[in-house]
Amino acid sequence: MVGSAKLASQEKKKNLGQRVKKYWGFYIMFLPVLAFVIVFHYLPMLGIRYAFTQYKLIKAPTFVGFAQFQKLFGMPNFWNAFKNTIELSVIKLLLTTFLSVVISLLLNEMISIKGKKLAQTIIYLPHFLSWVVTASVFQLILAPTSVGLVNTILIKLGVVNEGIYFLGKSEWWRFSYYLINIWHDTGWGTIIFMATLTGIDPGTYEAASIDGAGRWQKMWYITLPALANTIITVLILNLAKIMNLFESVFVLQNDAVMETSQVLQTYVYYQTFNSGAVPDYGYTTAIGLFRSVVGMALMLACNAASHKVRGRGIM
Amino acid sequence: MEATAKRKTKSNWSVFSVVNGLIFVIVCLIILVPLWKVLVDSLDLTTGYGMKLFPDKFGLAGYQTVLSNPTLLRPLMISVITTLSGTLLGLLLSTLGAYVLIQWEMPGRTFLANLLLVTMVFSGGMIPTYLVLRNLHMTNTLWSVILLPAINVYNLVLMRNFFEGIPNSLFESATLDGCTPMQTFYKIALPLSKAALASIGLMFAVSYWNDYTNYKLYINKEQLYNFQMKLRSMMQGSDLPMATAGATENTVRNAAIIVAILPFMILYPFLQKYFVKGINIGAVKE
Repeated sequence: MVGSAKLASQEKKKNLGQRVKKYWGFYIMFLPVLAFVIVFHYLPMLGIRYAFTQYKLIKAPTFVGFAQFQKLFGMPNFWNAFKNTIELSVIKLLLTTFLSVVISLLLNEMISIKGKKLAQTIIYLPHFLSWVVTASVFQLILAPTSVGLVNTILIKLGVVNEGIYFLGKSEWWRFSYYLINIWHDTGWGTIIFMATLTGIDPGTYEAASIDGAGRWQKMWYITLPALANTIITVLILNLAKIMNLFESVFVLQNDAVMETSQVLQTYVYYQTFNSGAVPDYGYTTAIGLFRSVVGMALMLACNAASHKVRGRGIM
Repeated sequence: MEATAKRKTKSNWSVFSVVNGLIFVIVCLIILVPLWKVLVDSLDLTTGYGMKLFPDKFGLAGYQTVLSNPTLLRPLMISVITTLSGTLLGLLLSTLGAYVLIQWEMPGRTFLANLLLVTMVFSGGMIPTYLVLRNLHMTNTLWSVILLPAINVYNLVLMRNFFEGIPNSLFESATLDGCTPMQTFYKIALPLSKAALASIGLMFAVSYWNDYTNYKLYINKEQLYNFQMKLRSMMQGSDLPMATAGATENTVRNAAIIVAILPFMILYPFLQKYFVKGINIGAVKE
């Protein structure tokens, strides 16, 4: 028995050499990919060591142990940015997902195929506009002067006497941020729900109709339960990415609303490239490392949740 | 009795559909009105106040300014060049990687797949990436904004999911006919994946065209700005080009926004199915 196992493993070893030889062409094809992944993903990971140093470019990095983290955890600005990251991305995620589901349910009830197609074409569109363009459009639309469309309408309707500075006042900034995100992403979010809805067997609806179920009952007892799994999947997939929040905030924030809009990634950016002092790369790498670790923990938790809910991981 | 019941459901139907239709008219207006406002103002030689359906004083001077001013034309060309080259490179890397990852019997396949997947979970972060690029002397060159986004593991996995759907027998018979792996790749795998190539190519193209973050992080020479960077600094009021032929500042700003979205708006109606397909390829595996 033992002998045959040994023989098999020997056989396997010999095979391994042959198999590697057989596949050499594929290994060569993979080289460019490998080179890119190493340079742009793995080399930066080695850079994490700077989080344990003081590194001000003019001098070589000096090892400081956990001093940067001590500094970090004592900074109110850091905790504020961490709190903002979670609040902004979670509320944004819940709002856009909820509205995507509502829009999908309504789209599903549309009888005119042409109307449905046209509506879909239009609501997907904003997703493809860059955040710079989106911010530019809304900067003009929400301007407090008479150029701004929204304020002009509000003043004409008599709701307000003076233009509201939507993006420049901290009490309005988040509200505007969520609205702009809803405008940008809700339509695109419906795609995945629509795919699930078209997969529902029409026979189920017919059977329900025969049993006397109305439109709302069918929606409540058939459509929504069918969507439940997809909703959870979407939430899990996006929850894993909430620490990545950067560009949408960066292009919409300004000095007047820093306190309420600063997130971890923008904090790192300003501390490094825009702080006015010589940047300490060690400090900002430490913030980035904290962000990556929290992000990874979220990702793994979501992966476990995904396994439980839908029987496979998120990737 | 039966007839009235039938009529009742039917009339319910139509009231609901009318309301539903109205909701979508409103939703579509909410999406289109801001863009319409920008378009109207870009064609209006007076400063566009409030909402007008059409320009007060129609003129193309805004576009003339954008397209004739070298400080705007150059960023536009840089956007075109980086988008084209980046998309090609991105597609090349995604398809090569995806093709190797479907060689299930290949020793080390799982290792290579995991090597890619790890990067989706953990990253060095903004500053270490910046430092690597700087040490490689790639900052302040277009290499940083072309090469870095070209390796996109998410797109590579989508491509792999698509390749998985190609019957293995096709690859096997090509191999038996004496095709090398590379020949099988471009004679079998690529021609059978046109739809996936289109949708993943479009995803790359959109992200290159829209790129702002990478430029903001790695480029601070104005000659290397792409159009998004230029648009951003125009919106922040710092360097608006001289408006020509009677265009106001507002006209030029709006015209620049339209120019930034125009290539996409022209292609979008024709290619919409490919844009949407991309997100559904991922679901094939289920």
